[in-house]
Amino acid sequence: MSAATLCLHHFAEENYALEDYQGGVPRWCKGCGDNAILAAIQRLCRDESLRPEKTVFVSGIGCSSRLPHYMRTYGFHGIHGRALPIAEGIKLARPDLHVFVNTGDGDCCSIGAAHWIHAIRYNMNMTVLLHDNHIYGLTKKQASPTSPVGTRSNTTPRGSYLDALSPLTVTLGVQNVSFVAQAVDWIPESLFQILTAAYRHRGFSFVRILQRCPEFVGNMFEPWVHDPQRMLMLTHADGIRVSPALQKIYRNQLPHDPADINRAREIASSEDPIPVGILYRNPEVPCYEDLRGAGKLRTADQVRGALDAELDKFTVWPQ
Amino acid sequence: MDSRLRSQVVFHLTGRLPDDDEAGQPLPAGLRPALLAPYRQLESIRHDFPVVLAAGAGEYVVSLSAAVDGALRAAAPQGLQGEAMCKRALHVERLIREAAAGGAPRTLLQAWDEVVAGCDEAWRREMTIVRDALAVDGELAGCDARLSSRFLRHAWAVVQGEKARAARVRIDALVLRLEGILRADYARSAVAFQAANLQQTFGGTHQALFNFATMSRLLAPAASQGGLEPPRRARIEWALRTLREQGFYPAPGDPGARSAGIDDFAFDNVPAALDAYRQRLPDVLSLLKALSLAELEVEGQFVEQLHAPIFDGMQSQDFTATDLQFFPDYLVTLDSDAPGVQADLVNALASGMPTKVLLEVRDLLEEAAPGQGRFSFGMRGSQLASMAMTFGDAYVLQSTASNLLQLRDRIQRGLRHAGPALFSVYAPADGESTLPGYLASASAMQSRAFPAFSYDPGMGSDSATRFSLENNPQPDADWPLESLIYADQDLQAVTEELAFTFVDFLLADRRHSRHFAVVPRAHWGEGLISARQWLESPPADAATGLPSILAVDDADLLCRVIVDERMMRAAQRCRDAWHRLQELAGIHDSRAEALLAREKALWEQARAIEVAALAPAVTAAAQAGLAPPAVAAPLAATAEDEAAPNPDVAYIETLRCSSCNECTLASPKMFAYDQNKQAYITDLKTGSYRQLVEAAESCQVSVIHPGKPWNPDEPGLEELIERARPFL
Repeated sequence: MSAATLCLHHFAEENYALEDYQGGVPRWCKGCGDNAILAAIQRLCRDESLRPEKTVFVSGIGCSSRLPHYMRTYGFHGIHGRALPIAEGIKLARPDLHVFVNTGDGDCCSIGAAHWIHAIRYNMNMTVLLHDNHIYGLTKKQASPTSPVGTRSNTTPRGSYLDALSPLTVTLGVQNVSFVAQAVDWIPESLFQILTAAYRHRGFSFVRILQRCPEFVGNMFEPWVHDPQRMLMLTHADGIRVSPALQKIYRNQLPHDPADINRAREIASSEDPIPVGILYRNPEVPCYEDLRGAGKLRTADQVRGALDAELDKFTVWPQ
Repeated sequence: MDSRLRSQVVFHLTGRLPDDDEAGQPLPAGLRPALLAPYRQLESIRHDFPVVLAAGAGEYVVSLSAAVDGALRAAAPQGLQGEAMCKRALHVERLIREAAAGGAPRTLLQAWDEVVAGCDEAWRREMTIVRDALAVDGELAGCDARLSSRFLRHAWAVVQGEKARAARVRIDALVLRLEGILRADYARSAVAFQAANLQQTFGGTHQALFNFATMSRLLAPAASQGGLEPPRRARIEWALRTLREQGFYPAPGDPGARSAGIDDFAFDNVPAALDAYRQRLPDVLSLLKALSLAELEVEGQFVEQLHAPIFDGMQSQDFTATDLQFFPDYLVTLDSDAPGVQADLVNALASGMPTKVLLEVRDLLEEAAPGQGRFSFGMRGSQLASMAMTFGDAYVLQSTASNLLQLRDRIQRGLRHAGPALFSVYAPADGESTLPGYLASASAMQSRAFPAFSYDPGMGSDSATRFSLENNPQPDADWPLESLIYADQDLQAVTEELAFTFVDFLLADRRHSRHFAVVPRAHWGEGLISARQWLESPPADAATGLPSILAVDDADLLCRVIVDERMMRAAQRCRDAWHRLQELAGIHDSRAEALLAREKALWEQARAIEVAALAPAVTAAAQAGLAPPAVAAPLAATAEDEAAPNPDVAYIETLRCSSCNECTLASPKMFAYDQNKQAYITDLKTGSYRQLVEAAESCQVSVIHPGKPWNPDEPGLEELIERARPFL
């Protein structure tokens, strides 16, 4: 885009309010941590002046995946585990859109795990929010891959048998990983900061958000919610900086350079205290859409020709 | 005074030897500075030249040696067979280098084939394998007087090609999206829903299966009312027309009568380039308008009331260098000896025309205007590049031809610079130097006669980031020092540190041979000092010695050559010019050095006072057998935690609110959200203490602290106070 056009855009730039991004009234359970995530996302959209018609939220199935309904932007409530391939298709076809993905621990780490691994490797420019409440909430309490061992649920009445899968260490182990962060819904300020950094990163920004589910696993995060010393705030000039007000509450801080992947893997393995901040960031990893030359133009005739060719494969010609 | 010494002094001061002096003969043929003795057979030495001006993708220029090395890495097998192949390929490379030195222009592959054609069958077979592995091909260019124009022209064409491809992508994308807007408008219009038009959108095979009249009746109510507004449609159609018909970047395969070829942007004089630029200005304005307008339209950002007056008022005077970066640059080649070149250069750089100027410098030591007086060192040559830096926004690069390959990235950066650029390149005219072209031009840089520097406005806003003296040998020194190892009369190896000075460079210039006189070995006396020593000495000391340099003749025999004073004065001016460049690059910066000296003096003064103040205490402590007192006590912690909130007063930790809506839904008057959707208490009096306690109980993250009740008459207070206790 030329300098003149940018200047003209600037003249016409609109200021948005939080209300401009509020869609339907959230129908999550009482006290659900998803509310905090929704508020942080709306704040991000407002502060980054994202045009609603240029923004799309894609989700799979689950409590988290209801989020697109509550945003007044474009949205795609997809099928179980397939939020990421849908988002990748959108990004390839419409690279001008800001693409966000809302997925849950069941949606992403179980049925959608294969897509998740390859989406990391593809490193397409999108922001992925993993709402991780350690349980299937929409279907009334079944153990998910991230449920801690011993979690009693409808499917594991004697307690789950396996150690929980760590979305952070998995993501950090995949080729081409470019951005990994962890946030918690009960520290809204750092959640907003982390989401902002994730949005600004060009590449596949993966943010795991530990999210409370008061309805089905109400005590899961209680110790950490009520004891700020059990939270570990990762700080760095290239990461996030904890505000003075928050510093008084969360005094347990650790300087961590997001460029250091080995240290990031160590930190990601910690379950107590819970690390919060940017674990890893590498802006040099190429994006798939750039490698594929998604900028190549597809004229209307080419699209029509390709569609005709595909449909002709299945046409039954009248006799 | 000894008669020999007298003759030498006379020569130094006047440039003439007494008639009876036996040394008064022309300089021996092939005389060259001693440091250049090892480079007599340049063709047998692998160096940067010739270069391959590569066509196609990848590096736009590579040296012949690098191309052959790359091919050998790919094709030569491991072991003895590979060794033999490398040896033969290097021989072929040498033959190509010899052929390229004086032959007609040819490509690398043509030259390879010509050389290999004369070899036997086994060689030919092997060399064909290496030839097929050559990753690049293009014209070979030796380091001669034409190199600068060929090199720059090639680099410029490569950059223009990149620019054209990027421009086509941008134009095609906009055309496609504008067409999409018009197509979508038509697809939703009443016309598109007419039976006949609907029928056309179906394949012929299935048309008979549908009743298009009924379909039209059903669809007609869904047609858009009015469609695109006429002004918007007119804007889009105008932008489409302009983008399709622009002549700067023709679509591939579209010869287009109005299209300009790349040659139409290359000129050998400034007035012609300016004329062409002015004639194209209306087209530039239209295309820029169309681009901006199209970009706003496809983004849905065009606001009629705001943008229409801006587009109407847009004029060619408003163009910035960034706007013009979209268009092809004008390449202007100038000869520094041409009359009026200085004024032309100023015109080109100041005109706003997107121009890249190549200034070909041939002569670095000219006679001053009166002709009989002193030399004017580099008045037209290096000074023009220094002058161009004063324009601020111009990219300036100065280099000798021999260094162009090393600076290829900087050259490309200059050609991509949004704004004017000047490339000042020195290459001696053919036949003026006794040295081969590469050595003649390399020694100009080595001797500071024509230092390499770049000034890149894109690097920052100050000269520390913009100006660079990289690539010059030993940039901290006045003259680069090199070791010379030679055999003395007893055939013993002697190592001597020699400076390569301006006069060393000029020794090889046939036009200035009269300023040098060879001193036979028998006459080397104490009166001879090195030119470097002469230049470094104060005038009074310099007057006691005769400046000389070490040289070798055709047979590589060492001799001393004394230099006359006029030439030495020119060398002084050359060194002064080098000092100015050094200062610009922050080397021996006189202001910084003065500042440093002043600060150091102040610091020493302060330390002295401090030490003097501590001296009595130290003495007393020493007498009492105690440790000396600390200089300064550690700072006391001054930061105090803020006072904890009063537990008797209700409050919310808004910062930690997780926006779960519980409190705001339960008591919408008492609680509200701030601009970040985090809760705060509006007014306690709008609700009861019971509501507040219940809100605290329902808050999942326990950030509501109810404090003490404010209404003593509220029923059930005792129970409520008990329930509130965990949240205080």
